Amino acid sequence: MLQTKIKPNYVVIFCVFLLVAIGLVFIYSASNYSAQKDFGNPYYFVTKQFVGALIGVVAMVYCSFVSVKQLQKFALPLYLLSLVLLGLVFVPGIGIENYGAKRWVGFGGFSLQPSEIAKFALVLVCSLYMSKKPHQMAGLKGIATVSFLGVAVCLLVILEPNMSITMCIALVTFAMLFVGGAKLKHLAFCLLPLVVAVPLLIVAEPYRLARLMAYLDPWASPKGEGYQLIQSFYALGSGGFFGVGLFNSRQKFDFLPFAESDFIFAVIGEEIGFVGCVFVLSIFVVLVYQGLKIAKNANSRFECYLASGISCVIAIQTLLNVAVVTGTIPPTGLPLPFISSGGSSLMVFMASTGILLGIDKNSKKHQKTVCAIQ
Amino acid sequence: MESSPYKTKQRLIALMCLSTFVFFILFCRLFCLQVIEGKSLQAKATDQWTRDLPIIPARGQILDTNGKILASNKTAYTVYIRAKSVKNPEHVSHTLSQLLGLDYENVYKKATNKGVSEVTLKRQVDEKVADKIRQANLQGVYIASEPYRVYTYGNFLSQVIGYVSSDNVGQTGIEAYYNKYLKGINGQILTQSDLIGIELADKETIYQPGIDGLDLVLTIDETIQSVVEQVLQMIMHTHTPKSAKSIVMDVASGEILAMGIAPGIDLNNLPRDDLQTLLDNGRNTLVTDIYEPGSTFKIVTAAANIEEFSKGNLKAFSNQHVFNNANYRVVDSGKKISCWTSHKNGKHINQTLADALSNSCNPIFTDIALSLGKNTFYSYLNKFGFGKTTGVDIAGEQAGILVPQTAVTNGDLARIGFGQTIAVTPLQLLNAVNCAINGGLLMQPYLVKEIMQGNQLAQKFLPTAKNRAISKQTSQTLCQMLEDVVTNGSGKQAYIEGYRVGGKTGTAQKFVNGQIAQGKYVSSFVGFFPANQPKYSCIVIVDEPTGQHYGSTVAAPWAKIIFQQIINYKNIKPVQ
Repeated sequence: MLQTKIKPNYVVIFCVFLLVAIGLVFIYSASNYSAQKDFGNPYYFVTKQFVGALIGVVAMVYCSFVSVKQLQKFALPLYLLSLVLLGLVFVPGIGIENYGAKRWVGFGGFSLQPSEIAKFALVLVCSLYMSKKPHQMAGLKGIATVSFLGVAVCLLVILEPNMSITMCIALVTFAMLFVGGAKLKHLAFCLLPLVVAVPLLIVAEPYRLARLMAYLDPWASPKGEGYQLIQSFYALGSGGFFGVGLFNSRQKFDFLPFAESDFIFAVIGEEIGFVGCVFVLSIFVVLVYQGLKIAKNANSRFECYLASGISCVIAIQTLLNVAVVTGTIPPTGLPLPFISSGGSSLMVFMASTGILLGIDKNSKKHQKTVCAIQ
Repeated sequence: MESSPYKTKQRLIALMCLSTFVFFILFCRLFCLQVIEGKSLQAKATDQWTRDLPIIPARGQILDTNGKILASNKTAYTVYIRAKSVKNPEHVSHTLSQLLGLDYENVYKKATNKGVSEVTLKRQVDEKVADKIRQANLQGVYIASEPYRVYTYGNFLSQVIGYVSSDNVGQTGIEAYYNKYLKGINGQILTQSDLIGIELADKETIYQPGIDGLDLVLTIDETIQSVVEQVLQMIMHTHTPKSAKSIVMDVASGEILAMGIAPGIDLNNLPRDDLQTLLDNGRNTLVTDIYEPGSTFKIVTAAANIEEFSKGNLKAFSNQHVFNNANYRVVDSGKKISCWTSHKNGKHINQTLADALSNSCNPIFTDIALSLGKNTFYSYLNKFGFGKTTGVDIAGEQAGILVPQTAVTNGDLARIGFGQTIAVTPLQLLNAVNCAINGGLLMQPYLVKEIMQGNQLAQKFLPTAKNRAISKQTSQTLCQMLEDVVTNGSGKQAYIEGYRVGGKTGTAQKFVNGQIAQGKYVSSFVGFFPANQPKYSCIVIVDEPTGQHYGSTVAAPWAKIIFQQIINYKNIKPVQ
């Protein structure tokens, strides 16, 4: 009875729907020309995304009703499953290779990126561990365990190879440790292997070094490694303050690679300008703020950690994507949450916000119960 | 929450602050890229969004002094095809193969070859056919108009006008010197396209029209030029020399009225595959090549003497002074300089300066040069423009060779006095003679008097005096003496009954590898009329004539014909 009277967090719902809607509009704008040319259907990408969004809504609603107990029960199996899926990427016949990286697994006509699931599975399993052993978090054992969980995923992802998701997962693990109460000096110590690992990873794959150079001076190789970044600059620059108008992007005519996926933010910047960019990013800020607020008010440690982990995934991936598009950090391929074309990513993100909504609901229920008792 | 919720909350707040801070950094970065650098990034991006086909403007015309067209343009249409933009290759190929008379299969191949950006289908297409193709409105087919140069008379004034490269860039002569005015500004057809050049159907095509080149009005008079060209052909027939050349100028202004060199080249049919001929016959040797002027140079020496005497220089000789009769002089203790003829049988006896000019007696002029001394004599060489370019508007002008004043010996000085040991361009010499007879002003010779934008005058070039060399009085005296040369002396063959013609002949031996080349001469004549107030001057140079070689017989008679024709053309009345 009480449950029916509890209002869901409309701000989160509004933000998510707004972002998904913006995504659909810009996927259409960015891809209709190339989709018509490559697939004979201007709505090719936007249709796929729309289907993804519909499934995403279902997943979101479902996840908001999943109980804490069930989540806790599923945490470890889901984590192990995602490790298996990450391993399947390398199995010929199941793993799909694209642009020289094995990042997808396919079952019949369906394909998904296991790393998308692994991100949230990691958050779930870390939250479970940290909430069960809160006192270990102040010591090295807790840090070592959480780090191990994160590093296991990172290793599999880096083998694909996928530098950007690895970075994202490493940062999420770090954020989890921070929220989980690890001592700052321990955290500082954790950064050490990262500082060592990044140069090693860059040296290991020559293309990463080339990309790093392209980041430092894209104009040195406008036709080569610097191309993508320059095209992104052209799009953003052309947009100026107010943009060239919706659907009026010129860069989307094959000039900007991955215009509907990793670089969709550049098209947004071109069509609706600086004002539009600030608007879209502000929605993310509100969403992340809401997520962390939900974490703060959560009923249990587990829910608190889970909510902050989900918020961090959204925040980190958004920041990394926009930083790449604006040339603030070296280019890597990472979709913009809720907006970039990509069904599995969209579904997983929407499902995770469903969990956020569930946690929010639980805390409000708890408050009401407390009120009722008083 | 059970334990230490405070710490967790604190850390959540820290995370909130951190993420907001990073978002803020990205806002700043976006502001930089979009607002601050936006304009310049967009400008760079615009380049890649458009494909352009040039619209080549009409090259400026070249007109003679009376507005007669010497160089103009015809338009050729070129049909291009851009396979990537062709929507219906069958239809396009069918229409084009019919209109252009091309093989269907061939056109179809080009219309479907998407590997290349643009292919030329046919050049030099007729305007009517081009119109029909335009009306057919075929997507992916473009027509560019390309003007090409035509010259009214092919082998006429050719070294002066010069020629253009196959893409209409001036290579020599006026075409090169005034290329920046003639070429105009290219326009373009901008089509909006995607990355690989596929035209975007819903975006507009921008036409930026070109600006036609400016027209040039020359000082050249087509009628006088024709006379010169004909006379040069006659010289070539009569004396079969290596070359014959002539310049006609307006004495007072420095305007070049005619300038011809035979053999020449046909500008409408250039010998592009025979580079040597193109370079030899296409060069304006009247300004790019130098020669030893010989006796025509005596005009300058005479002018220097008369002027110095009038100024009271005791080293100069009066016009009544009778010079030594010997037919040689000895300079630099032992070197003998002789007259061109022996002074026997009463020849070259008791000569005054006027007699010396008439007889073209070398020793007299060595006397003058040596007596004036190198400082005074060189100051005149300088004032008459020797040792430096005239500044005429022709590319590649040479300055000539003048022994440096610091290194000149008496022997050199003596020889310079009658036109040896000095090398000049024909234009330089004629310009110096103009200075001697026009009242004493050294003018800057010029070929272009007006630059026109359509019917509007864009720039006018006026006569430019560089310096005064001698006084009016001296100039008049000299004119009388030179008239005497034609009336009674070596220039007799240029004499025209009823008209006051003045002039001076010259015959110089050619040097090959520092040795006098036996039997090789440059015969020349410099003349002008009317002698009381000179208006037209002319130089005729015959390089290595066969048979006779004296300037008086090989060059002077042709100058006379040129003058006669000018008299007829300008309808000048005789004085008597």
